[in-house]
Amino acid sequence: MVLDNLLQTVVFGLIEGSVIAVGAVGLTLSYGVTRFINFAYGEFLTYGAYLTVFLAAGLFGSSLPLPVAAVVAIVLVGLLGVAVSRVFFEPISQRGALPLLITSIGVSFILRNMLQGWVGVSAKQLPVPLMRRQDYFGLVRLTDLELGVIVVGVVTMLAIHLLLQRTMLGKRMRATSGNRSLAEVAGIDTTNVVRQTWFISAAAGALSGVLYAVLFSPFRPVVGFEYLIVIFAATLLGGIGRPYGAMLGALFIGLAMNFGSTYLSANYTRAYAFLILVGVLLVRPEGIRGGEF
Amino acid sequence: MALLSGGLSFLVTIATIGCIYGLLTLGLNVHYGYTGLLNFGHVAFFAAGAYTSAIVTMPPPSTVTNASYEIWFNLPMPFGFPVSLAAAAVVGGLLAFLIGLTSVRLGTHYLAIATFALAGVFSDVLVNEAWLTNGSFGMNSVPKPARAMLSADAWQLAYLGFAVATLAGTYLVLTRLMDAPFGRLLKGVRESEPAAKTLGKDANVVKLKSFVIGGMIAGLAGGIYAHYLGSVVTAQFVPHVTFTVWAAMLLGGAASNTGAVAGAFLVVAFEESTRFITTLYNWIQSVLPEVLSGILPALFGPLPNNPSFIPSMRFVVIGILFVLVVRYRPEGLFGDPAEIDALGEED
Repeated sequence: MVLDNLLQTVVFGLIEGSVIAVGAVGLTLSYGVTRFINFAYGEFLTYGAYLTVFLAAGLFGSSLPLPVAAVVAIVLVGLLGVAVSRVFFEPISQRGALPLLITSIGVSFILRNMLQGWVGVSAKQLPVPLMRRQDYFGLVRLTDLELGVIVVGVVTMLAIHLLLQRTMLGKRMRATSGNRSLAEVAGIDTTNVVRQTWFISAAAGALSGVLYAVLFSPFRPVVGFEYLIVIFAATLLGGIGRPYGAMLGALFIGLAMNFGSTYLSANYTRAYAFLILVGVLLVRPEGIRGGEF
Repeated sequence: MALLSGGLSFLVTIATIGCIYGLLTLGLNVHYGYTGLLNFGHVAFFAAGAYTSAIVTMPPPSTVTNASYEIWFNLPMPFGFPVSLAAAAVVGGLLAFLIGLTSVRLGTHYLAIATFALAGVFSDVLVNEAWLTNGSFGMNSVPKPARAMLSADAWQLAYLGFAVATLAGTYLVLTRLMDAPFGRLLKGVRESEPAAKTLGKDANVVKLKSFVIGGMIAGLAGGIYAHYLGSVVTAQFVPHVTFTVWAAMLLGGAASNTGAVAGAFLVVAFEESTRFITTLYNWIQSVLPEVLSGILPALFGPLPNNPSFIPSMRFVVIGILFVLVVRYRPEGLFGDPAEIDALGEED
């Protein structure tokens, strides 16, 4: 019984860790090439979830099946990310991290409240069926959806890994992240790399938002902004700008949150994520995983 | 005595809230403007002060409906008022000390996120620890000092007078402090930590002091706010407060106390006046001649008709303010461009 409960908590931790990991990797990739923490990142999660709901309900005339709606939403949010970068961040990209950081707060206000003004504060829900948990190996119980979230999380991590290590774009991203002017000198069109990274980053945020919405319906327009703390915790834990660190940090945070709410008190889920982070920062300010990506 | 007429009463309210936000902005300005500390959790110090004032002055739970708090001191008004405000400032400073101990030594981004998240955790505590804070129902019987001796209008004016005096006092003290060697030390740390260290100054201690001073001012603002509204509810202390104060500081000009106060009044006046947009709309519609009466509905008809539309647009404007000030006028209305240049040199 005790062991069952423990295993089940581990599995829940892995499920939520997958959601966090997708978001944290997206955030950290954009930090890698832009060198500022994007406070508007949570809005990509929110827009991903909301667009999926609207597309599935027939925003463009015909209602799309849920997986198709999610993919379209993710692509649209990716494009939104590129647009946001071009309108708000590129014009001041030479001015250092601070103006960019403060601008990102303004952008998060604009995006979040535009959505809220349009759709109102009432909660929305993805049209996912209510499922019964099935036994796996007689040890843990989870729904097909929860299993799906883990699979999507793992596949995304793998895809990001292959992107970074095996594709030209990944190499350009790593070069730009390592030393932008050197990359420029080597003939890399860094402006373009930054835009492509914004697309990937925002799309990952949207995917994370969709996964979140699958697991924890219903949600409101503040969902992404509120979850941002958790994603920040995972990102920082892994060391900002380090995708593999972010994956590891996300697993850690997912486990910590679920262990905390199972064994301590469910009222402080976000607090566990954060207290772990502060603890780690005190000992290792650079996060658990050093080195470049 | 008649109630203050609509417009005047509204101005008094704006001015009082403006003073409270003026204090908050002055506090944040000590952190960011003078010391370069990115504090994105300012609302926590404000909330700490407001709740402290509520806890030390609330009447016994048996006399209040829906009470679940277990600690109260029921300090008598008006003599308990200064004690309550002092306690608010001390607790605000104490929270700043605790948060600062863990975070001031972190770099820019880490500090921004740490303060943002710690404020989130603090607000979770306020919602969940009902024995202390009465939970999300809030503390709704915070006494208004000297309210029994004055008429409603006279009290509003008297409290405004008190808020103005506190703001002016804080402004003067801060201005003196920033011109004193301590102020130069803060700016020194802002501009070059290694240089400050070379001169034998412990940068982390300086930052911690700055953090505590700003936190105390925000705590004081919280106390004044609690006794002004007579109620303290968790929903008042959301991250929007932090970023409204940031907008005020950026608009007025970082590292300028005059700018902080002016920015706070402008932002508060803007936020409060947007609630009259519907009234204004109806008034224009009613005075327009018959022929033109179709214009406004045609213009605004496509806008979504939900009650959160106008409040949301207010924050869209605040967001645009962030973007525009940073891009086109980083020194704000009253700031000194040289000081902002120094702020930008990070990492």
